[in-house]
Amino acid sequence: MDRLEKLLWNISDSEREEALQYYNDYFDDAGEENEAKVIEELVSPEQVAQKIKAGLSDSASEFSEQGYRDTRFEQKNGEVCVEKPGEGAGPEGKKETNFWKILAIALLCILLLPVLLPVAGGILIAVLGIAAGILALVLGIGISGFVILAAGILTLGIGIAQAFVTPAVGIALAGTGCLVAAVGILVSVLVVWCCIKIVPGLLRGIVRLIRYPFRKAGAKR
Amino acid sequence: MVFNTGAALLDAIVLAVVSHDAEGTYGYKITQDVRQAIDISESTLYPVLRRLQKDGCLETYDMAYAGRNRRYYRITDAGTAQLNLYMSEWKNYSSKISKLFEGSEEK
Repeated sequence: MDRLEKLLWNISDSEREEALQYYNDYFDDAGEENEAKVIEELVSPEQVAQKIKAGLSDSASEFSEQGYRDTRFEQKNGEVCVEKPGEGAGPEGKKETNFWKILAIALLCILLLPVLLPVAGGILIAVLGIAAGILALVLGIGISGFVILAAGILTLGIGIAQAFVTPAVGIALAGTGCLVAAVGILVSVLVVWCCIKIVPGLLRGIVRLIRYPFRKAGAKR
Repeated sequence: MVFNTGAALLDAIVLAVVSHDAEGTYGYKITQDVRQAIDISESTLYPVLRRLQKDGCLETYDMAYAGRNRRYYRITDAGTAQLNLYMSEWKNYSSKISKLFEGSEEK
């Protein structure tokens, strides 16, 4: 019984208790005089454990088919019993490794979660920060361009108005205004061109960068 | 035994044996009773009982007996329904087989 209990280490506690209770009862009910006979009929704790586990791991009909086949083998001769543990171990072993694999992956995910989460968050925030920075830069240069243009035009207007009072200063002011306005136009055009040409490409790049890990993970599954 | 006992038939036999005792019966007695009809290894019966219990065909309870707790098995309503199905199927099946056998003897 002790050996049976040890052999059943990898099934749930309740299942183990159930099985042990059953076989305990069985021996008690058989009585001491039949004990040797029962032990002989059960062959070995290994075989009993094998059958209990086989009954647990397989779906009902599949198992019973195998269970019934086992009895038939046993009836014909004892030899065939040797074949059975191997037979039973096949699907059961597979299921077990599957279970461990899933458990390992789940554990890995849980363990890596504290690392993955901040890293993913950090990358996301960094990307957002860069995007915001670029946007601010472009917006700032663009606005300053327009402001310079406006200032140039204003200076030109003041210069022309001044020309009626003091022609020299007025002409100089108007000239400066023209110059500033030209710089403003240049910057504005440059920024507008940047917006049209670079920003969409940049945005597309960022979106692709964010999507990349998700797509890869999706492809894996 | 020459003929194989299929899974369903084994279920039916076990259910029938358990149903004979309204109070319920226990593992050793079930095994002995089942063995009156078919030769079955002792380790085969436990998984069958456990499965029938999980399927809701059998229920268990513990009762004190000779200074210890003995696990008793009792048939449920679902188990009775299942047993009736098995029995009618068996009647149908065995009578057809018998008919075939008798028919071949006459020729």
